[in-house]
Amino acid sequence: MFSVTLKNQIFKSMCAFSAVSVLLIVLGMLITLVVESFPALRHFGFLNFLTTADWNYSKEIFGALRPLTGTVISSIIALIAAVPVAVGTAIFLTELCPDKLRRPIGTAVELLAAIPSIIYGMWGLLVFAPFMEKYVEPVVSASLGNLPIIGNFFQANTQGGVGLLTASLVLAIMIIPFIASISRDAFNQVPDMLKESAYGLGATRWETLYQVVIPYSRNAMAGGIIIAMGRALGETMAVAYVIGNRHAPLDSIFSPYSTITSVMANEFNEAANLQMSSLFALALILFLANFLAIIAANRFLPAKK
Amino acid sequence: MAEQKSPPEDILNVNNLSFYYGKNLALNQVTLPIRKNRITSLIGPSGCGKTTLLRCFNRMHDLYPNNRYEGEILMNSHNILEKNVDIIALRSSLGMVFQKPTPFPMSVFDNIAYGLKLKNIRNQNTLKEKVEKALRQAALWDEVKDRLKENATGLSGGQQQRLSIARTLAVEPMVMLFDECTSALDPISTQKIEDLIVDLKEEMTIVAVTHNMQQAARISDYTALMYIGKLVEYDETDNIFTRPKNKMTEEYVSGRFG
Repeated sequence: MFSVTLKNQIFKSMCAFSAVSVLLIVLGMLITLVVESFPALRHFGFLNFLTTADWNYSKEIFGALRPLTGTVISSIIALIAAVPVAVGTAIFLTELCPDKLRRPIGTAVELLAAIPSIIYGMWGLLVFAPFMEKYVEPVVSASLGNLPIIGNFFQANTQGGVGLLTASLVLAIMIIPFIASISRDAFNQVPDMLKESAYGLGATRWETLYQVVIPYSRNAMAGGIIIAMGRALGETMAVAYVIGNRHAPLDSIFSPYSTITSVMANEFNEAANLQMSSLFALALILFLANFLAIIAANRFLPAKK
Repeated sequence: MAEQKSPPEDILNVNNLSFYYGKNLALNQVTLPIRKNRITSLIGPSGCGKTTLLRCFNRMHDLYPNNRYEGEILMNSHNILEKNVDIIALRSSLGMVFQKPTPFPMSVFDNIAYGLKLKNIRNQNTLKEKVEKALRQAALWDEVKDRLKENATGLSGGQQQRLSIARTLAVEPMVMLFDECTSALDPISTQKIEDLIVDLKEEMTIVAVTHNMQQAARISDYTALMYIGKLVEYDETDNIFTRPKNKMTEEYVSGRFG
């Protein structure tokens, strides 16, 4: 029989080991990324790598500019599309929804988060992309496409609907549940008394929601949005399926393009030397971007107890 | 405490009011007057229905499903419990202050101006005047006049509660409903708010729910004792505390039950 103190000691060291190993794994990954990307970054220079648009196998010139803009733009479009829908869902669930509907809709939102991303990719490629090509692109290019100067940017492409906007919208659907569930939890935290104070002064439901509930929850919502952005930045399979993976200038929002993750998913198998190292450099950039997103989210999210 | 001999006019008349949370009867055939420019206290043990009654006056119960009123509350001979009553207007003429301070997540000034803006008062000078007046009425002006732009959540608990009172006063209600508004405060803050409530009756009518019998005795002109949804006794506060007619009232005010 072990003495109680010895049991405590063993338990403590096992917990400490688990906790430290997480840290070691993260550090190990970071070191791998730095070491493996070093040849490319030394060859091109970090800033030069960031600002080079070319991704050319024959000339052996690799730059992060296009994948990086693809990642950033698709994430931003995804957020713009997802935030209103997600916040609307959260408002409906907490403030407007009849009790009978609350469970089914809440569960559906959570299921949306549970769908593996490759399924989003397949659905995006086989269902959503053709839908975009058939119904969305003609309408947009016939309207916005006629605008001077920026019109070209809304011209349809003939690539079966895959492209930057399609990828962004699939991403939007994927991040809705994150924003919706964090916003819902935040709205639920608003004390009834605070809402009643607004009602008591003669506020309508909408005024209470817009002027009291949402401002009270805005930090938590911002945290949720940043977590969702981190997810969008790093999402790989779904995006790789529907973005089209093209290394060419972005001429239209519908055009095939690339993101950091789609380039990595597509080229890792066949890459070597400088190209391989460049892929690691892309990974390092993504790692840092996500790291920043998490730090930012923690600043906003209420301290967990 | 009530100086005049003849009772003042009634601003509200509760007639045979019953109230249901779903199927639970929470108020049972309550009848009592609320006298104009007087303080009426509602006292009684937890769960007796005093807060439920208070929340009938501004139809706060309407926010939640399956609640039901029976009977009437007359205000200027109109039943405010009728379906077609303009609840928004009703609520701005019966201000409510809650158990805990409820500062909105905005500046001190914006908190006080909130109800005014809901009434579409946009003129900056008018807003400034009314905000200052309300803060002075709530005895908070001197403490916050240099902090109007700061977030209201930074004030102390007692200040936040006076802010909540000022915010309600700013819309110039006819009746103020206080729901155990000092229960979360220290004795000094409580004293300030009691003084404030007594001063306010010059201009408006006050209904105060309180757990604290001494408070009811100190501030109110009329007191109603409730028990399990029923009104036990309603009278001038002096009579309730010194010459109660009902045996239960006597036991409650002397601390033998409740």
